[in-house]
Amino acid sequence: MALSLADLDLRGVSEAIGRGDVNCVAATETYLERIQAHDRMLQSFITVMADQARARAKAADTEIERGRRRGPLHGVPVALKDLIAVAGVRMTAGSRVLDAHVPAHDAFVTRRLGDAGAVILGKLAMHEWAFGRPTTDGPFPTGRNPWDVRRAPAGSSSGSAVAVAAGLCAGALGSDTGGSIRGPASMCGLVGHKPTYGLVSRAGVLPMDWSLDHVGPMTRSVWDSAVMLQAIAGADPDDTTTRHAVVQDYVSALESGARGLRLGLLRRFYVDWPELNAEERAAALAAFDVLRSEGAHVQDVDAPTLDLAMPAWVPFLSEMYEYHAQTLRTRPEAYREALRPRLLMGALVTAQDYLRAQRIRERLRREVDQLLERVDALVFPGQAGPAMKFEDVPTTGVMPASARYTAPWNLLGLPACVVPCGFTRDGLPLSIQIVGRAFDDATVLRIARAYERVTDWHRRRPDPARWRL
Amino acid sequence: MTEDRVQFDAECRAAGLRLSAADHEALYQMWLEWLPERQRLRDAIPQPEEEPWR
Repeated sequence: MALSLADLDLRGVSEAIGRGDVNCVAATETYLERIQAHDRMLQSFITVMADQARARAKAADTEIERGRRRGPLHGVPVALKDLIAVAGVRMTAGSRVLDAHVPAHDAFVTRRLGDAGAVILGKLAMHEWAFGRPTTDGPFPTGRNPWDVRRAPAGSSSGSAVAVAAGLCAGALGSDTGGSIRGPASMCGLVGHKPTYGLVSRAGVLPMDWSLDHVGPMTRSVWDSAVMLQAIAGADPDDTTTRHAVVQDYVSALESGARGLRLGLLRRFYVDWPELNAEERAAALAAFDVLRSEGAHVQDVDAPTLDLAMPAWVPFLSEMYEYHAQTLRTRPEAYREALRPRLLMGALVTAQDYLRAQRIRERLRREVDQLLERVDALVFPGQAGPAMKFEDVPTTGVMPASARYTAPWNLLGLPACVVPCGFTRDGLPLSIQIVGRAFDDATVLRIARAYERVTDWHRRRPDPARWRL
Repeated sequence: MTEDRVQFDAECRAAGLRLSAADHEALYQMWLEWLPERQRLRDAIPQPEEEPWR
């Protein structure tokens, strides 16, 4: 059969391997060829691990020939944001600071993907230290949006989103401190899942802000994200935040539908925000109607302290400054000019501001916990609007106002998933977001799937013929 | 020199920052944009009865 892997989601690739329609080496070669053909324009990979990937794929085929298939990720080519360590492979965080850094050990999540049989194709572009601005030049370009290469894919897991959306890998891992999985996933028409804080180990993952950082999957479908999450979730002695991790079965409940589920729509803070893009608003409201028609009870809810979420998020930049302070003093020129003031803002956070932010965080947590006693999940538009042209991306400010759609959920560490819900008239992806109770990622993914399975937005693919300037 | 500028320079000194002129200016502009947000945070005083240990 003529198999176009690039058009498949991770599940499709996995099933093709399972049926024997394609072997792991051939699947890997297909993606490597596609990277070769398109990534000069899309700029999604920093390092392509062609030799290691071929060797891994060959070993995966040998295992299959001997009757062993580890699971759905066996032989499936995936890729990692370039702040996730792979032993012996340069890890840059998109910065000249680390341009010669080669970690000695795999990150926990890298090991888990390897144990599941996945083939790592390479390391993906990102915004510098997960907090820089998008760029198309210099040693570490951040990637072009495959739906319109004149537009940014958002960040900071920009390369992860670009590569998955463009069919340069079957799935990817990103990281999310204020929206860095959910933003790019939304802009590129993908599912992006920020797991519960403490569910996925950050050992071997370069930090941005320790108490807000999450690692999670970015994929073409909800099933794909569930399978990747299953592989990487769980306690790790090297990341003490995971000591109470509760791992669920993320796949088996996916098809349970939305009937009877209670969804709280955060209308005042999100839908009624005057700066919300009109097409995003309309698409999201239509999506919530779809969930209603699937049997969910959708009611308006509110958490007034959301108004203080962004003022409370910024003081956590002091964690980032703590990590970078010495290098900023000794090698400031190694950081891009646009990033330095954002890092330095962390130096101007007082201990009192930081502690006040922690107290506001607790106030918000209590409000949201009370909401989540009344509803099974919260829903709202995934982003403030679609992908922006590079020249329109704000270059000032610590965080854009639109971060209100994502950053509050890093403060609370709750599972948050974006899923495609339509396209603008210009053909740009739109999304909704679903937030659930701590360690109930399974319900979040179930709701995402309940929407996905009666819509077809996730089946659309960007046209490679348009990948030119 | 404005009051904001005096305050900013004092905060930079307190933080031990020694910056190039360009970085100093860029940081000042960012700090200025952040001030209203910081003030909102400082004005949001949690009440004792809100604390989880009450």
